[in-house]
Amino acid sequence: MNLPRRQFLVGGTLAATLTGCGRSTREMRDDFRRLLGQPTAPLLTGPFTAPTSPTLDDASHVLNRLTFGPRPGDYARVAQLGAKAFIEEQLAPEKIEDTLCARVVRHEFDSLADPDSKLFPRKGQAQDSLAALFPTLKDRGARVGDLYDSDEKALLRDLTRSTILRAVLSERQLYEVMVQFWSDHFNIDPSKGECRWLKAADDRDVIRAHALGNFREMVRASAVSPAMLWYLDGRANRRRTPQDTPNENYARELMELHTLGVHGGYTQQDVMEVARCLTGWTCREKKKFFKGRVEFHPRDHDDGPKKVLGVNIPAGLGAADLDRVLEIVTSHPSCANYVSWKLCRRFITDEPPAAAVEATAKAFADSKGDIRTTLRALFATPEFWAEETRGAKFKRPFHFVVSAVRASHAETDASPQLVEYLQRLGHTPFRYPTPDGYPEEASHWQSTLLWRWNFAAALAENRVKGTRLVRGELRKMAGSDETLLALLLGRKPTETEQTAFAQSGGNLALALASPAFQRC
Amino acid sequence: MSTPQAIITGNRDERRTLIVIFQRGAADGLALVPPIEDDHYYRARPRLGIKKTDAVRLDDRFGLHPNLRPLAPAWQEGDLAIVHACGIEDDNRSHFEAQDLMEHGGVAAGGWLGRFLRARPSTSGALACVAVGKALPECLLGAPSVTVMQSLNDFALGGKSGDLGTQLQRLYAMENGQLGTAARDTFDAIKRIDAMRSQPYRPANGAVYETKDEFATGLQQLAQLIKADVGLEAASIDINGWDSHFTQETLLNPLATRLANGLAAFRQDLGERMQTVSVVIMTEFGRTVQENSAFGTDHGRGGAMFVLGGGVQGGRFHGAWKGLGQLVPRGLSTSYEDLPVLNNYRDVLAPVLLRHGARSEDLPKIFPDFALSPLSLYS
Repeated sequence: MNLPRRQFLVGGTLAATLTGCGRSTREMRDDFRRLLGQPTAPLLTGPFTAPTSPTLDDASHVLNRLTFGPRPGDYARVAQLGAKAFIEEQLAPEKIEDTLCARVVRHEFDSLADPDSKLFPRKGQAQDSLAALFPTLKDRGARVGDLYDSDEKALLRDLTRSTILRAVLSERQLYEVMVQFWSDHFNIDPSKGECRWLKAADDRDVIRAHALGNFREMVRASAVSPAMLWYLDGRANRRRTPQDTPNENYARELMELHTLGVHGGYTQQDVMEVARCLTGWTCREKKKFFKGRVEFHPRDHDDGPKKVLGVNIPAGLGAADLDRVLEIVTSHPSCANYVSWKLCRRFITDEPPAAAVEATAKAFADSKGDIRTTLRALFATPEFWAEETRGAKFKRPFHFVVSAVRASHAETDASPQLVEYLQRLGHTPFRYPTPDGYPEEASHWQSTLLWRWNFAAALAENRVKGTRLVRGELRKMAGSDETLLALLLGRKPTETEQTAFAQSGGNLALALASPAFQRC
Repeated sequence: MSTPQAIITGNRDERRTLIVIFQRGAADGLALVPPIEDDHYYRARPRLGIKKTDAVRLDDRFGLHPNLRPLAPAWQEGDLAIVHACGIEDDNRSHFEAQDLMEHGGVAAGGWLGRFLRARPSTSGALACVAVGKALPECLLGAPSVTVMQSLNDFALGGKSGDLGTQLQRLYAMENGQLGTAARDTFDAIKRIDAMRSQPYRPANGAVYETKDEFATGLQQLAQLIKADVGLEAASIDINGWDSHFTQETLLNPLATRLANGLAAFRQDLGERMQTVSVVIMTEFGRTVQENSAFGTDHGRGGAMFVLGGGVQGGRFHGAWKGLGQLVPRGLSTSYEDLPVLNNYRDVLAPVLLRHGARSEDLPKIFPDFALSPLSLYS
């Protein structure tokens, strides 16, 4: 067998993992499929105990909310582990082994793992620690510039595919859910200007680096992210003469969308003052040397005294104005409230109860924006566990598509045909034009049913190119229609569901297209 | 006929449809809409100029390329308006970059049509937006939902098992509230599409679409969707290959024929329904006023933009035009200067979007960082 060198390297690492552990034929087969670059799915390992409660029990509830949907064996594992232990496990992604996901992502993507680029870990390198996802921010400028060597269309395609693959494959599900949450919160549409190259760096250095880290550090990283400087025009925010008007685009969104919320208590005057504080920060353009490098130009900076949200900022601080501004807005009570409200909306319900928001906001403020502490508090609220919370969220299309792939144990390479369904559903990653990010509320997504049903049918009948499931495998593994349906829906099916499923001849499409599967 | 509430369209019972045709490759506005009374035109184009006797006279300045003759009735009946010397403000002559700028509506995130659809006051339906072709055009980036369609079959409820729909209807019948309503609307739309597909399409009013021309068949499918009331609000379709550097006529003439025949059939087929439809035809830039030595023209600036459809003040030109006399060769140059962009493409699109339900306060979001002065295309 003549393998290209690159694949041979992967083979080497695989061979290394083979030694010392007893592996089944099935596992061996999957290893070889990976070796040959074929799509792979996590091994289907039992037991496949199905939920028996007529409503969503704790295990199903946390799987619905903290992940992009349970895979066939997940319910049994979480039911045994305990829902609260599962939350703790997911809050510590660095302790979760994620070999398969890391390997597939690294194996698949040339532009994100170009051997000549220092930006992303090298293909074939067996680095399965989080180091690959949390690289240091050192030498950011020099490395970000490497992105410009990539074809921007290929870069976006790979970024999109790797995002989908990680959502499908990663064991660090809450981490991936939070990556999506922050990608919306700090939304950047790569189709604007040089964002088409720079968004990949933002994804790594801002979103993924801080998704379960500290909110203040994430805002700081975002403020000087080259892609953000392009997207919200910060790079053009300068004031050389008193006549120059600062560009307030980023300043406004920083307060309205990133920290305080639109009713967060700031005024137009505050927007202008923040914009003045941020004058002089820019990003070197593609046609210049050191392209993509973020710089502070003192002569473009308005160094006079400013007042932001009632706090005086003395003249002459130069670049340090940025840190003062971020300190003021991120420690403001509105920031804790707003971010917590958004988190509660994502994890509890579209109109989250005030008590839950308050408890979450307190943890956010007390921990100075520690995201894990904040989430831990959120997951401890009675509102999170309330009966009316369970199954009350309408899955957004991305969640629906990924949960269908996971639930049906399909193998996918997240190829364009899968992305096309997301496009029809209006929820392709990195395709939202305005800075507010994809909407969270159910009302926005009601008109997507036809394409959800069509995706369910296409998936069940293996008509989505690049995505495959072994038909009948699920049913065989579950042992009965009722168990299978319970696994897919996360609870004991109703009589109507059971009858419809039986009459459809156990059609997987029907289960995935059913109202219950649209919710989480 | 359908009940309005069964269709979730942003413009509700009006059910207006906007169709954007992009002529990729930079169509020569001076060949499609020649200034037949301007002597400078024939001086700049001694071999390629459209002869006055060949052109279809439009007014006391312009004619229409002879191959566009099928569009003459639309002009005469006041349904076709033309804006000449139209384009982007940037002097960018890369096809790709100029198309990008124009489709994004400037250096902006997403496409102008996508932002328009996002800015709608009410939610668009699942079938609200269609891109005919193989890929999503840049102008539709960021749209709430887009179907890239090569065939109407893309719209059916898939599934080999015939009773998927029946069983789903049974399950969704148990749903109250938003989801139940959405499901009922969706089943209704599916029914209409199925009815449409169940019999061969017969265009109305004796219209004939060229079945071998995918531009014409694309338009035909859009007409079908419009007539089936599935809630189509916007669609894009391209007609490509206008980059006529060499032997322009052999390239441009057949394209002009396809464009005109397709549109004429579409207009005839829709009949009265055309009042609810607008068709915008645009290109990334025009071509040099001066013909080149290879019987072609090169990348220029201003081009021609067309608006066809209901309510437009047609049968006349809109926007500024200064003639070619100001572009005469000067100094050492032996070539005419390029036709400048006197009319920004956004000022043509803005009034069309207003007609299609955009609120004037949305326009700065749809076309950011640009001081609009919309043309008065509508009374």
